Amino acid sequence: MSDDVRVNGEEPTTGEGGSPDYDNAFDAIVVGAGLAGSAAAVTMANEGLDVLVIERGRYPGAKNVFGGVLYTPTLRELVDVTSAPVERYVAEKRFSMLSERDETAVSLRPGEWHDPPHNDSYTVLRGEFDRWFAEQAVEAGAVLVTETTVTGLLRDDRGKRILGVETDRPDGAITADYVVLAEGGNSLVSEGADLKSVERAENIAVGVKEVLEFPGNDTAIPDRFRLSDDAGASYHYFGEGAVGDAVGGGFIYTNEDTISVGLAYRLADARGRQPKPEQTLNAFKSHPAVAPLVRGARTVEYGAKTIPEGGHESIPKLIHDGAVVVGDAAGLVLNNGVHLEGTNMAIESGHLAGEAVVEATRRSRTDEAALRSYPERLESSFVVQNLERYGWLMERVEADRDFIFEELPHALADAGAEYFRMDREPKEEHAEAARDRVLEAVGGWRGAAKLAYRYREVIR
Amino acid sequence: MSTTAPNVPNVTPEEPTTENDSLADRLYTVRYDDAGDSHLGVTVPGICAEKCHSYDCTSVCPADVWRKGEDGVPHIAYENCLECGSCRWACPHGNVEWSYPTRGAGVSYKKG
Repeated sequence: MSDDVRVNGEEPTTGEGGSPDYDNAFDAIVVGAGLAGSAAAVTMANEGLDVLVIERGRYPGAKNVFGGVLYTPTLRELVDVTSAPVERYVAEKRFSMLSERDETAVSLRPGEWHDPPHNDSYTVLRGEFDRWFAEQAVEAGAVLVTETTVTGLLRDDRGKRILGVETDRPDGAITADYVVLAEGGNSLVSEGADLKSVERAENIAVGVKEVLEFPGNDTAIPDRFRLSDDAGASYHYFGEGAVGDAVGGGFIYTNEDTISVGLAYRLADARGRQPKPEQTLNAFKSHPAVAPLVRGARTVEYGAKTIPEGGHESIPKLIHDGAVVVGDAAGLVLNNGVHLEGTNMAIESGHLAGEAVVEATRRSRTDEAALRSYPERLESSFVVQNLERYGWLMERVEADRDFIFEELPHALADAGAEYFRMDREPKEEHAEAARDRVLEAVGGWRGAAKLAYRYREVIR
Repeated sequence: MSTTAPNVPNVTPEEPTTENDSLADRLYTVRYDDAGDSHLGVTVPGICAEKCHSYDCTSVCPADVWRKGEDGVPHIAYENCLECGSCRWACPHGNVEWSYPTRGAGVSYKKG
């Protein structure tokens, strides 16, 4: 499978006659064959545009790391997904608070998630999935070039309109009417071309992850996570047992024969005297509620990435004369604690940007105004609607971080222990003790009311 | 040795253990093609030696690319790099130079 993609893009500089001229051969150049880039490429190629996708990795996905769940509502509209390399569908979501040695958890296993389309939530491995998705773009007519790094953007004489890209290939400048910047969160090209500013460390999360296998134990995953067939689990962890005193969380996702275990927290909290991300991961894996799930596992792959979590206010200008910015490069990631989304937003933004480019091409225009349907439609889509809805949350969580990540996990675990305490006291005593422990943490009834009001929007 | 054992049934409390690979073993799980020279650097070397005291690059790096040398100043082991970019945002002096490795070089994830 991989070979098709690479053959297609292997030798871009040596076609017939030795030196093919890629200049003006393409209506659009897509920088990066990740989810947003391939979504844009499929969309444009389907409408007959000549599309060049430039990927700096050895294959699409080679440079890509994520937590683990792909959300497919837009993807299913774009391509036939029956052959898509997914690992498992998500049949359980589990949210767990960890203090140093306690766990308090809530688990959801709606029967409906077993039925197609499985709530459009699947675990995938990007090394496989991104190759497949890029292949769909190639099948739609796009040209894919790998092992080629875009090093900058070409501009017109006045330095205004974007005319194409500069690459690391010999004579590597390639012109096109439009450039789609889908280069990911570490967006050096967009920043280098002043299309976006450098984000603050407070708005970036660092993520580390291991893919683990269970040698000689074929039933470890279904047994430990209570799964049959292709059902999978998505476990989320908060609190100091997950990421110390940082703002963030840990996760375990089940793949077909492996699990993805990792965590992500604010880069600002990783600075200074904090343990290094790798040590935080070790501590998380050693937590008494987590260790039995990963016992006997062997590391298949270790990876790291940064996640743009600045939310709505961090979205850069999305359209320029001759260019659009999509996916992680545009900061389109939602993390409100319970919803951790990005793949769906990347695909939606790539798709909407692709459609805007198609429209503009039909009108033979390349100016910024001709691309306006992209930001407009993104604004009214779930992508920006969701970011706006939870825009207030991160700030409040930051202000309440000690309470949320330390006091609350402790208090709930203690309250649980009190409530179910087995001795010769009547239950009434235990219930009172449990209630008192929670009230102590939240600051009495008045504090509880304030807190409920403070976070009312979460369940509005 | 005369402490009285509590009068409870004889069960063994949990002592969870997890064997974590060393960072070297972890990094060994990903392919790295060496471009020949570093895609990472510092803009003004003097800043690290003279102005910086926090060395946040060394704290945030998940791959020990940025590590204190014998001179006490961070050095760069670029061939460890997982290309996450953390150092770029972490550096309080904006002193990290970051470019994408060229021609397919650098890290390659199989799983991701």
